[in-house]
Amino acid sequence: MAKSLMIVDDSATMRKIIIRTVRMSGLEFDRTEEAGNGKEALEKLQESPVDIVLCDINMPEMSGTEMVKEARKLDCCKETKIIMVSTESAEELISGVMADGANGYITKPFTPEKFQEKLTPFMN
Amino acid sequence: MLDQMTLNDTVLDAAREVFETMIYMDVETNNEASPVIEGQSLLGSITFKGCLEGCLAVCVSQSCAERIAKNMLGMEPEESLAIDETCDAVGEVANMVMGSIKTRLQGTYPTIEVSIPSVITGRELRNTLGDKAVKAVVSAWLDEQEAVEFSFLYREAKH
Repeated sequence: MAKSLMIVDDSATMRKIIIRTVRMSGLEFDRTEEAGNGKEALEKLQESPVDIVLCDINMPEMSGTEMVKEARKLDCCKETKIIMVSTESAEELISGVMADGANGYITKPFTPEKFQEKLTPFMN
Repeated sequence: MLDQMTLNDTVLDAAREVFETMIYMDVETNNEASPVIEGQSLLGSITFKGCLEGCLAVCVSQSCAERIAKNMLGMEPEESLAIDETCDAVGEVANMVMGSIKTRLQGTYPTIEVSIPSVITGRELRNTLGDKAVKAVVSAWLDEQEAVEFSFLYREAKH
């Protein structure tokens, strides 16, 4: 069954790079949404939920870590898989955001293979 | 405090990781022919605080910045690029290089908090942090063609 995807990053260029890298990984989505920060992502998710969210951490307005906490309070996001995509690699931060409800973590710089590895378990 | 050679190697290794993984460009230093950035250029910078406080900057010419952005976005050389996309790409490079440096320094400096990157354009751009800052300035070639300068300036935070 086709899946839907949302990319959350304050950099429009990075959102394009992620979309391109996901395509290069061979994974296919029937719908791809974009949001510039956590707050915008939550608003869009409440209007139209997606299966998988790829979310940056350091963003203005609402960070990725705050977004994960808020998303897990929403019924529409209970089944959504949230994968963090960030330059942050501190183990404490990663374990913290995973405990808050994230389903995976990809560090920048990334490769198509890394997306394939982290997203494939959620594609079925 | 890190010794100068370790610091320079850390910056260079971090830059190589980012450029080779996501921009598909080689980063090489060459002591015989020092790269010089001429004309209109872009400087992407990101500040940090915590165990260390300072700034990491990446400086490239306008043409090099466009090449970096096109490589990151998978665009053909003849395709046109918006100025925002070029600036955004240089900011992301600074962000990722800083992230990689942070990972490499984690054992010595576990708490480093980074800002959101910013980009300025102009001529003869420099990254400064006062006389007491420790500096690692790495000038390199991208694909043996384009000059790039990485400058990592910091002070150890007072406890």
